[in-house]
Amino acid sequence: MDAPVALAIAGVDKLYARRGKPPVHAVKGLDMAVGRGEIVALLGSSGCGKTSTLRMIAGFEAVSKGTITLAGRRIDPLRPAARNVAMAFEGYSLYPPLTVAENIAFALKAARLPRAEVEAKVAAMAKLLEIEPILGRYPSSISGGQQQRASLARALVRKADLYLLDEPMGQLEPQLRAVLRARIKSLLIENGMTAIFVTHDQTEANALADRIAVMEGGALQQFASPAELKERPTNLFVATFIGEPPMNVVETRVVRDGGTLRFALPEGPALAYSEAELGAAVSDAVGRRERVVVGIRPHRLTIGAGPLAGRILSSQWLGDETHVAAEVAGRMLVGVVGGRLAARPGETVSVGLPAASLHLFDPDGGAALAHGGRAAAGPSRNGIAA
Amino acid sequence: MDHTSPAEKILRGALLTLVVLFFIFPIFWIFLMSFQTNETILRIPPSLAFEPTLSNYTALISGRLETQSGTLDIQFMRNLMNSVVLSASAVALALVLGVPAAYAFARFKFRLGENIAFTLLSFRFAPPLLVLLPLSLYFQEIGLADTYFGLVWVYQLIALPMILWIVRGYFEDVSPDIESAYRIAGHSWWRTFTRIAVPLAGPGIAAAGLLAFIFCWNNFVFALILASAAKQPVTVGSLAFVTASGIQYGQIAAAIVLSITPTLLLALYAQRWLVEGLSLGAVKG
Amino acid sequence: MGLSIHDLKKAFGGHTVLDGLSLEVGDGETVVVFGPSGTGKTLLLRLVAGAHEASGGRILVDGRDVTNENPEHRGVGMAFQNFALFPHMSAYDNIASGLSARTKDKAAIDARVQATARLLKIDHVLGHQPRELSNGQKQRTALARALVGEPKVLLLDDPLRNVDAKLRYEMRLELPNLLKRFGSASLYVTQDYREAMALGDRIAVLLDGRIAQLATPAEIYEAPATIAVARLFGDPTINLLDVEPHLNGAGLTVSIANTRVSLPGGYAAAAGRPAVLGLRPEDVVVDDRPQGAVAVPVEVVAVTPLNERAVVLMRTDDGRELFAAEPGEAISGRRHGPAFASFDPARALVFDRADGRRIAPTH
Repeated sequence: MDAPVALAIAGVDKLYARRGKPPVHAVKGLDMAVGRGEIVALLGSSGCGKTSTLRMIAGFEAVSKGTITLAGRRIDPLRPAARNVAMAFEGYSLYPPLTVAENIAFALKAARLPRAEVEAKVAAMAKLLEIEPILGRYPSSISGGQQQRASLARALVRKADLYLLDEPMGQLEPQLRAVLRARIKSLLIENGMTAIFVTHDQTEANALADRIAVMEGGALQQFASPAELKERPTNLFVATFIGEPPMNVVETRVVRDGGTLRFALPEGPALAYSEAELGAAVSDAVGRRERVVVGIRPHRLTIGAGPLAGRILSSQWLGDETHVAAEVAGRMLVGVVGGRLAARPGETVSVGLPAASLHLFDPDGGAALAHGGRAAAGPSRNGIAA
Repeated sequence: MDHTSPAEKILRGALLTLVVLFFIFPIFWIFLMSFQTNETILRIPPSLAFEPTLSNYTALISGRLETQSGTLDIQFMRNLMNSVVLSASAVALALVLGVPAAYAFARFKFRLGENIAFTLLSFRFAPPLLVLLPLSLYFQEIGLADTYFGLVWVYQLIALPMILWIVRGYFEDVSPDIESAYRIAGHSWWRTFTRIAVPLAGPGIAAAGLLAFIFCWNNFVFALILASAAKQPVTVGSLAFVTASGIQYGQIAAAIVLSITPTLLLALYAQRWLVEGLSLGAVKG
Repeated sequence: MGLSIHDLKKAFGGHTVLDGLSLEVGDGETVVVFGPSGTGKTLLLRLVAGAHEASGGRILVDGRDVTNENPEHRGVGMAFQNFALFPHMSAYDNIASGLSARTKDKAAIDARVQATARLLKIDHVLGHQPRELSNGQKQRTALARALVGEPKVLLLDDPLRNVDAKLRYEMRLELPNLLKRFGSASLYVTQDYREAMALGDRIAVLLDGRIAQLATPAEIYEAPATIAVARLFGDPTINLLDVEPHLNGAGLTVSIANTRVSLPGGYAAAAGRPAVLGLRPEDVVVDDRPQGAVAVPVEVVAVTPLNERAVVLMRTDDGRELFAAEPGEAISGRRHGPAFASFDPARALVFDRADGRRIAPTH
C-alpha cells in the first residue's frame, strides 16, 4: 500500500459485561490498517462486531484492549469530540429543534467558517443527496429516507480526518441507493476522504469500497478488495458469505487414481480432473487429505455442458439472467445462466464444474486450499499485507 | 461512555452515598425509635446505644396502651386492616375500570379522546381539599359517609388517573401488528385483549397498580373527613397517639414501621419483576 | 376463485392512498404486489386481512363477501414483515394460535403444528421463546403460523426483508414450492424486483395507489405498460432516450446522436409524437467495432462492477448517457475511450413521451 496509513487498529478487543453471565466478546483481536483516502467497508451479518468496531473508532465505546491510532496520534483514550472524526448514524440523530439546513451547517458554524461559505457547502451537499426541497423543514416532518440523507449530509460536509458511516443507505429504496452510491463515491474520491462504513449489503460494499473487511463472530475473516474476496476467499465463511447467489459448496471424498484426482460427491458420481487440468500446485495443496470441500460460484457452474446429470428443481427467470436450482447426486446446486433457459423443472440437464473455477477448502476449520488453478496463500486471515 | 476519570467516579460515589443517607436516615431513626421507650427517646443527648424493648409493638397489637393517665384502647390493628381493605379495593376497582380505558385511549383515536384523557389526569392536580367539603355533605345526603364503598369511590380520584396514564403508555408500546396477528389467526377482540394485550402490558399494569396502592395507602385527607374511627386507615389512626398525657413517640414509631412495611415490601418485591421488563424478542431485533 | 378484490379504495382523512384496485387471485396462484415504498402495498394487505376498514369496494374470500367482516372471520393467513410473533408464547403456541380459535382438539392441533413445522424446518425449536430464535427461524415461525390453518387466502408482507442475504436466497428458492403445496391464493408484497419475478405467477405493479400493470413477469419485463414500470425492473435501470420518430418510407426511424435507427414495422402510430426509446443495458453490446444492426459511436466514460457484471457508462456524441451491462470477465478488457454501442432495434421499447405509456407495435 503506497498511501500513508491514516487509521491503525492494533490488537483491539471489546467485551461487554453482563450481570450474572460471562461477558460478550464482541470484537476479538482486531488488527486493521486503513490508508489515507481509502474507502473501507465493514461487512457482516448482525452481531458480527462491525458496529462495535465503528463505535470504538468514533469513541462511543471504550476499547477493552488494544490501541487505535488516527493521523499519527492515539485516539482511543480521547473523547469523541476530540478525535476529528465525522460520523453518520444509523438512527439519523438529527437535532430536532433545528431545520435540516441548520443541522447540516452545525459543525461548519462551530468551526467558525464564513456564512457564505457555509451556505455554499450546505447547498452543494443538499444537491448531491437530493434533499434541496427539504432544507427548510424540521426532522420530525420528513420521511425516514430523507432523515437518513440529511444525517449523511451533516457528516460529509465537515472537514475531518476520518468519516464513519453506519449503514448509510439502509432506509433508501434500490433506485435511489444506486444513484447516491455513485455520487457519494465520487465525492469521497475527489476530496481524498478516508471513509469506513458499516453495511450488511454486499452490493453496496462491492460498489463503494476499495477494500472490504469481512467480520463474523467478532473476528476479522478477511480484509481485501472485492475482487480478491470473490476470487480468493481465505475460508469457507467468506466464500459462502460473499456473492449472490451464494457459492455452492459440497463436501467430497478424495480419491487419487494415477494422474487423476477425483472428488466423489455424497451419492455416487465423482468429479474427475487430471493433474494437468488442476495444476500441480492444487494437487499438492490437497495433499493427503481424504475429504475436501469443493466450492463453485453459481455463475461459473456450466449448465448444459459437463459430465454430471442434474434434475432441474426450479428455474427463476429474472430478466437478464436465469437462476437454476438443480439436484446433482443428491445435493442442490444453484447455477446462473444469461437470458432464458430452455429446459424446464423436472427435466435433466448436464452440469459441469470447470477446473479453473473450482475452490477447495479444508473440511476441518474451513481454510481455503486452492482457487482455480492456484494454491491459496497461507493462513493470513487479517490480510494486513494486502 | 466509559471516559470517567477516577476523580469523577469517587465524586459520584460520594454524592450517591450522601443522597442515600439523606433519604434512608429518617426511616432508620424511626426504626430505632420503635424499639425504645418514651423515656429513652426523649433523653438528652440522644444516643445510639439503648436497651431495645418490644413494648411498643405489643401495645399496638394488643390494642392496649399503658400511659400515665391510664390505659387507652388503641385501634391500630383495626386501622391497619382498613388501610389494606381500602387501598386494595380502590386499586382493584381502578384496574377493572382503568385498564380497558387505557387500552381504548391507546388503540382507538376518537374525537375528544385526548381531552377526556387529560381531564382524567387533571384530577391528580386538583387539591383534595377543594372537593372535600362539598363531598362530605353529599356523602351524608346519600348515606355514603363513613362507608367503605364511599371511600373506595373517592379513592378512584387518586388511583384511576395513575392507572390510565401509566398503562396507556404500556399498551402503546405493544406493537399493533401483534394484536392484528392474533385476530387474523381467528380470535375475537376480547380474547386478543385478555390473552395478548393485557399479558404483554403486564409489568406496566403491575407497576401502575403498585404505585396506586402506595398513593392510596398514604392518603390522609379523604379518610380524615369522610370516615369515622371504625373505618379510618393507619394514616388517620396515628393521630390517636397524640394523647392528653403527651405524644407517645415510641408507639408512633412502631406504628409507622408497621404501616410502611407492607408497601415497602411490595415495592421491593415488585422492583425485581419490573426491572426484568418485557423482552420483545418476538419482533425483529 | 380464491381472492377477489373489486374497486378497493382507502383514504385517510382527505388523502386517498388506494384509488380503486381490482384484482383476482386464483387458488394456488401467487400474485406479487410490487412497487416502491409508500405506495400502499402493505395497506392493501391489511385491508384484505381486515386490520383496516376499506373506504370503498369489495373483498371476496373464496367467493364470500368479507368486506364488512372482522379479521377473525375472514379465513386468511398473514405473515408480517417484522414477524409479529407473540413474545410471551413459545414457537409452538405461536403456530398453534392459528388453530386454537377454531378447535379445541389438542391432538389434531398438535398433528398440524408438527407437520407444518417440519415442512418449514423448525420442528426442533418449537419449544423456544421468540427471543431465543434467530431471525430466520422467527420468519419461518411467522410463516408456519400463517400456513397452519391452510387458509384460502395467504398474505405475505415482505417476509424476506428482515432476513440475511444467504437465507433470503434459500427461501426464495423454497417458497414457490411451499406455496404451491398449500394451494392458497397468495398475495406477496416485495420491493425487490428479482424476488417479484422469481416468486410471482403474476405481478401487480402498484404505483400512486393504482395498479399500473398486472401481468406475468415475462410480460412486465418485455412489454412494460409504462416508463415507470420499465424503470422498476432491471438492474442497472433501463436506458431511456428521448427521440423524435420520423416516417421514412415504409417504416419509422429515430435518431440517436446522428445515428439512424430503423424501428421495426408496426410503430407507425408513433410517427410525429415525441417518444422515448427504452433499451435494456443487457441488450447493448460495447465494442471497438460496430456489432449489429445499429451501432452508435460513443465514448466509454466509466466501467464499474455490479456483482457479477460490469456496467459500462458511455456518452453519445450529443452528450447523453447510455449504460451497457456485460458479463464480468469483460471488465478487464474494456478501456475508456471511443467505442461503439450496438443493439438490435427489435429489442427496443418505444414509449409515448407525453403520457409515458408504451406504444405497442401493431402487426
